[in-house]
Amino acid sequence: MKDAIANALAESQARELMVYLLGNVPGLPPIIQTFHIVGICIVVGSIIMINLRFLGIAVPSQNITEMLNRLMPWMWWALLVNALSGLVFVIARPLRYFYNPVVPYKLALLIPAVILAFLVYRLNKSEPKYWESSSIRLRYGQFIATVSLVLWVGVIIAGRWIAYWEYIPFFYE
Amino acid sequence: MNEESSVPFTEFWARLQALPISEHIGFTWWFPLLESIHVLAIGLVVGTILMVDLRLLGLAATRYPASRITRELVPWTWIGFVVAFTTGFGMFMAGATRYVENPAFQIKFMLLPLAALNMVWFQFRTMRTISAWDDTNVLPTTAKLAGATSLLLWIGVLLAGRWTGHLL
Repeated sequence: MKDAIANALAESQARELMVYLLGNVPGLPPIIQTFHIVGICIVVGSIIMINLRFLGIAVPSQNITEMLNRLMPWMWWALLVNALSGLVFVIARPLRYFYNPVVPYKLALLIPAVILAFLVYRLNKSEPKYWESSSIRLRYGQFIATVSLVLWVGVIIAGRWIAYWEYIPFFYE
Repeated sequence: MNEESSVPFTEFWARLQALPISEHIGFTWWFPLLESIHVLAIGLVVGTILMVDLRLLGLAATRYPASRITRELVPWTWIGFVVAFTTGFGMFMAGATRYVENPAFQIKFMLLPLAALNMVWFQFRTMRTISAWDDTNVLPTTAKLAGATSLLLWIGVLLAGRWTGHLL
């Protein structure tokens, strides 16, 4: 399945187009990567501040419900930008990414991180003040916030290590 | 690096790069580790700066006074900045002679002082009148200008920073 998709992409015209564009439009690779980084800033900035608020460490005057409603829509758009800008490089070099030993780790961290963020967001949407209505819920929220912080830190580290796996003993040994 | 360098202090950069720790960073997993922490710290720096800038532009968080958003977020911006600077310096040591001659790197370090200057200007000129517009989302042009300038400069810093890696 994975091999089939990788090979289909590798032989596709989409790949030819991406390779052509990335190689011939001056500065296109760093420009698309900058979109990816701006997306990361929006996601990481929002996630860190929301989770630190859950843990009672930052932005004391902003309440959780309002923060989730205000910041998370930006985050979903940023995640979309990240997915699209990332996809450009996957399409251009499918074999590199499909068979990179770090990619499975990034996905294994990213998918639960996004699911947790969505859960926190949805519950807050379905019932305003959901996370602040009882101390037990706040405790759950704080537990999720801690896990979420660890996961997102891992996503960023794994994302960067995709380009460096040959330097990391864990991956080449 | 054969001809004469156009960059001052050539000797100093070469010696910095020849330090055992610089070579260790350059040839081991330290470099990717520093780089990933650098990206995380940038997320905190630029993420919080975007929140402040969008507030100054009247585009987000308008229910909060601009001064309170600024006061609560800026300490986190600084924490991120210190981490980004430290990890960035570590990566710089590993290839100092190449970085100082890298045009993208040079542009990055022209944009960073401009972003700082914009912050200082905002702090000392625009913030003096803040009590008059703190609670409104109709901000004075100078505040909006500071927000927009900051937004553009920081995106420029990100672009130049990312471009640096393509010119090594």
